[in-house]
Amino acid sequence: MGLNMVVLDPAHGGTDLGARGTEGIHESDVVLQFAAAVKRALEGQGFQVIQTREGNENPSFDDRSARANAQRGAVFISLHIASTGLPGTARTYVQPDTTVSHDPTGLIPWDQAQAPFIPLSRKLGDMVQAELAKRFKGSPDVGQLVPIRQLRTTAAPAIAVEISSVVVENREDLDRMIPGVADAIARGVAQFRPSYVVPGMPGTPLVTQP
Amino acid sequence: MNPKWRLWLAGGLAVAVIAAALYFPALRRQVYKVKDLSEQTAEQARRELLPPAPVNSGEPRVKAQMYWGSRANDGTLVPVTVELPLSSDPTLRAKEILNTLLAGPVDPEARTLPPDAALLAFYILPDGTGVADFSEALASSIPSGIQSEQLAVDSIARTLEANVPQVQRLRILIHGQEVDTLAGHLDLTQTFQVSMSTAGTPPAKSGVSALTAPIQKAYDKVKRATKRP
Repeated sequence: MGLNMVVLDPAHGGTDLGARGTEGIHESDVVLQFAAAVKRALEGQGFQVIQTREGNENPSFDDRSARANAQRGAVFISLHIASTGLPGTARTYVQPDTTVSHDPTGLIPWDQAQAPFIPLSRKLGDMVQAELAKRFKGSPDVGQLVPIRQLRTTAAPAIAVEISSVVVENREDLDRMIPGVADAIARGVAQFRPSYVVPGMPGTPLVTQP
Repeated sequence: MNPKWRLWLAGGLAVAVIAAALYFPALRRQVYKVKDLSEQTAEQARRELLPPAPVNSGEPRVKAQMYWGSRANDGTLVPVTVELPLSSDPTLRAKEILNTLLAGPVDPEARTLPPDAALLAFYILPDGTGVADFSEALASSIPSGIQSEQLAVDSIARTLEANVPQVQRLRILIHGQEVDTLAGHLDLTQTFQVSMSTAGTPPAKSGVSALTAPIQKAYDKVKRATKRP
């Protein structure tokens, strides 16, 4: 069984507008537009895509993680728009290594769910970032290691993609980035697909192909 | 009801609706103003309860390195050398250093922490963990985003690393409480590494923030070791 599903997470929503910029731009609205385009691009690559939110609601961090944790063979991508950074750039973030407390039952605590997936997340993050760097000059070449709350409880290869920024002269400047971001993410995930082999039996460890 | 009265009623209603529509923005502004004022007052009250920050005018002035944002707005930090009267006591020194960091650089664009944020307390635990307790403004006034939150914590960690070697790790509290995130992104439930030397390394090349550099080094070491036959 291999990677077949992508859980897209448009961040914020509801009363949480996220970053607020010029021209009344709200991160919570813009990420939905990005998510729609990323979904189409991923479906074009043959992936099944589900979203943590479709409209203006704000699921909790745990509810969003639970959408991914309930799937087998999924990756999780959280989409953000920054209020800082060079306009027209995009960055991928991955959880840094964390110590996992060993449970005699073999179960992984919910708040450390990401820990076993970190090597895979880093691989996915670097692949997506390499595609973003090709399209958006000034973006880093590799994914950044930053502890992000949303990723910590996600039991799947998980990354956050942040686009700069809501502080743009025109809303069109952000809109113009949508196709490039969607294509970069879809290609990055497609390149990652052979690396991710999901075991058939529950409890067996994940395998990273060389 | 005769048509004349209906006309009068409709006209009256229309006038009421127009008047309400005109009044609504002013009312909303008034509500926000009152809300801001009450928040400021609460924050002011908390600050007034705190003991005044120690002034060490008698201490020798030494060169300190502060890490503020790059003017290029590229998500990197730049060391800036300033001369300060610094205490030799590590806890007092850390407070003085962080208050200078909060006061900000000459160029406001290079600021990494909100101007209205305040350091409420700072402790150093016996294991070298520094606990920095900031006012709520640190979380509520910081620009939302992964990069801005990372930069804020990175600037605190690097500045402490450069000036207070006794602080090896860092915990951040908001108004005395452990919180889930700084402003919706960065995980504040963990302890950040401080003692390391990655100053000036742009994240764009390394992919490593000051918060995670030791973890990255350890990871690379393990990776190299596992590759050996």
